[in-house]
Amino acid sequence: MALRRRIKLSDDDVAEIPMTPMIDIVFQLLIYFLVTIKPIDVMAHLDVYRPSPESQRQQSEVPPNLIKITIFDQGLMINDRLVSLSGLASLLDKLADLDPNQTILIMCTALSPHERLVQVLDMCAQSGLNNLSVISTN
Amino acid sequence: MAKKRIRSGDVEGINMTPMIDIVFQMIIFFVLTIDMDKKQFDDRIKLAMAPHGKAVEQKDPRTVIVDVNERGTISIAFAVMSPEVFRKVMRNAVARYGQTVPVVIRGDRETRHKDIRRVMDICSSVGLWKIKFGAIKEKAGTVR
Repeated sequence: MALRRRIKLSDDDVAEIPMTPMIDIVFQLLIYFLVTIKPIDVMAHLDVYRPSPESQRQQSEVPPNLIKITIFDQGLMINDRLVSLSGLASLLDKLADLDPNQTILIMCTALSPHERLVQVLDMCAQSGLNNLSVISTN
Repeated sequence: MAKKRIRSGDVEGINMTPMIDIVFQMIIFFVLTIDMDKKQFDDRIKLAMAPHGKAVEQKDPRTVIVDVNERGTISIAFAVMSPEVFRKVMRNAVARYGQTVPVVIRGDRETRHKDIRRVMDICSSVGLWKIKFGAIKEKAGTVR
């Protein structure tokens, strides 16, 4: 009986451990992490194909109906016609309505900023055009 | 009076265990997620926006992420390397994992295409023709 009493007493002691300091520290930690966490941008990946060396040789025989977008450091051209960004977007929408699987050849000049290429690729993604090929020119 | 006493006794006996469990779960979540993505990416590279691009959902563990800053410097995971070293790295990656290794080029929005082209040409020369460009789909709420 004496042993039982002792056990009961020790059980009571465990139940009476003060939880307040632990909860305080846990909340401090939680607030610290909430304040210091840096939200991460949602990333996107734009897939393109790079022509293989063999297909580069065949470029002289490109079919005439191929859509060719040229990116300069100052502007854009679609099939040798100057266009604005908004104009290109509407043209790409129309092209995607005709055939979303057609290959779009994107030609970039050496000094064009990378942002412009990403903008064009984003427009193609918006229109639903997936077959994109990036070619570099001088 | 008797009823009031019973109520106050109930309040004192609130079970704290589930709350502590949840708080610990949250702490473990924050500790695990806080550093993982920061280490991979170079914050100095300002990516272009692509709100309609395909969001990155599943990460292939073989993915090679190449950073190209506005001056055309090539780096992988903060390790700056010359084009020749980069070619060797890519050749090793292809030899080890095959020609399906995903390559993501994270180019600064100011980077000239000739510098991006150099990276793409090296990838093509080792047999990687499918390339991804990294961009920001949705900017995080805070201004950096």
